[in-house]
Amino acid sequence: MITAQIVVSGALMGLVYALVAYGFQLTYATSKSINFGQGELVMLSAFFSLTLLDWGVPYWLMVPGGLLFGVLLGLFVERAAVRLALEQKSEGWILLTIIVGLLGFSAAENIWGRDDRPFPTPISSDALHIFGVSITPVEISVAIGVFALMGLIELFKRKTLLGKAFEAVSADREAAELMGISATRTVMLSYGLSGLVAAMAGILVSPITTVGPTMASALILKAFSVAVVAGLDSGFGVVIVGIFLGSLESLTSFYIGSGWREAPGLILLILALAARPNGVFGKAGIRKV
Amino acid sequence: MMYMLKVENLYAGYGSSEVLTGVSLEVAQGRVVALIGANGAGKTTTMRAISGMLKPRRGRVLLDGEPVQGKDASRIAGLGLAHAPEGRRVFGPLSVEDNLLLGAYGRLPLFWGYRGRAARDLDKIYVLFPVLHERRLQSAGTLSGGEQQMLAIGRALMAGPKVMLLDEPSMGLAPVIVQEVFATIRNLKAAGITLLLVEQFARSALEVADYAYVMERGRIVAEGVPDELYRDERVLAAYLG
Repeated sequence: MITAQIVVSGALMGLVYALVAYGFQLTYATSKSINFGQGELVMLSAFFSLTLLDWGVPYWLMVPGGLLFGVLLGLFVERAAVRLALEQKSEGWILLTIIVGLLGFSAAENIWGRDDRPFPTPISSDALHIFGVSITPVEISVAIGVFALMGLIELFKRKTLLGKAFEAVSADREAAELMGISATRTVMLSYGLSGLVAAMAGILVSPITTVGPTMASALILKAFSVAVVAGLDSGFGVVIVGIFLGSLESLTSFYIGSGWREAPGLILLILALAARPNGVFGKAGIRKV
Repeated sequence: MMYMLKVENLYAGYGSSEVLTGVSLEVAQGRVVALIGANGAGKTTTMRAISGMLKPRRGRVLLDGEPVQGKDASRIAGLGLAHAPEGRRVFGPLSVEDNLLLGAYGRLPLFWGYRGRAARDLDKIYVLFPVLHERRLQSAGTLSGGEQQMLAIGRALMAGPKVMLLDEPSMGLAPVIVQEVFATIRNLKAAGITLLLVEQFARSALEVADYAYVMERGRIVAEGVPDELYRDERVLAAYLG
């Protein structure tokens, strides 16, 4: 029974990895670029949301506020770090998004300090017992939030014309432009959505992990592993891999020792890279031809 | 004469290489104009420079009298130019119907109700290409080459364009299918579509065209109605042999 308990709580963290990994997929689809500062977006959105709560904004109004802040951050990253590099067809976005992330980190330390702070939530932390596994409503809210947001974005992509245009740009950017679809604006949209996803991850995970400048540094590495292992093409593969990695981690932590917690993610990443000699993005690149 | 598309002294190229060195041509409303010439003469580059896939270095492109050179391809498309590019370039993962809907992207609502607004135009395309109706829910990548070409043409028609550019529609297709493609082009002509056509099968292109230009090494070297070109010894020897 203890194993089931460990798997469940690990899987929940895994869903958060999956959500952040999904953010990588969104921008990779439209622009073949990803935001290496995505973790800082998670952290900054969490801090901003906490500040809204400090100001007395009710929790359920804070959520859209925090999400909007994430969208704006995503758009900022696109404008400040990605667009220039893409226009010059360079890989400069790698360094530039890392730099924007570092700036975000410094800003957070200066504005909110270095300490971890608790993140209040009206959702109860009293454990419920379901089939002998104890789970808190806060944890359930993480699962609901992850699936709801990913489901909504997938619905948007499949059911609206704008979403289909998003898919068209992902499939063939040049041909999409010939349909009158602005690729530049579609890339902006994808960065806005990835910011939204990051903010959601921050709001969902903060009540469990607390908020601090370093809260997302481990998260981002594992989200990256999930995205690489699952593939950077869009889809729910990240959910499966995320749950798998999260469970593996908490099992490792319990049975081998918490010092080994990070090991499964790194090993998974190395194995994925070894299995793809064309590099991290190789598979998608080949499929495109 | 009302020119829907007018290209004046167009220069364009890739990197340091100049491909087009002063191309001028005109397409009158409701006419089919063919652009013929050997491989590497610059036909596709001309099409790309007109539609904005490639930014021209000099010269002007007038779409219904309005200069569009230097604008983004998506802007030019929105102004009424539909380019069915070389290689068809359908959106493989999307369904046939989604491909067609995206052809009308510029004039449909972005969130809801776009299907209803496009229904009549979709029906017209399905009458023209019944095979697309049969396969409307299939992903475009699963179509045969000929069907993909029909889709590329249908997608361009969905925009209700002022001018359509059709680049090498017969490329890589079996002879029987090539016949079908030319039958389609004759249908477009009968429907009054203004068309600039690039074709490797110069003879077939001249049969359907009202007027034609011959390209060589990045410039226009001959032009005229098809009968005139058939009488031009030089053109005859080089392209219609």
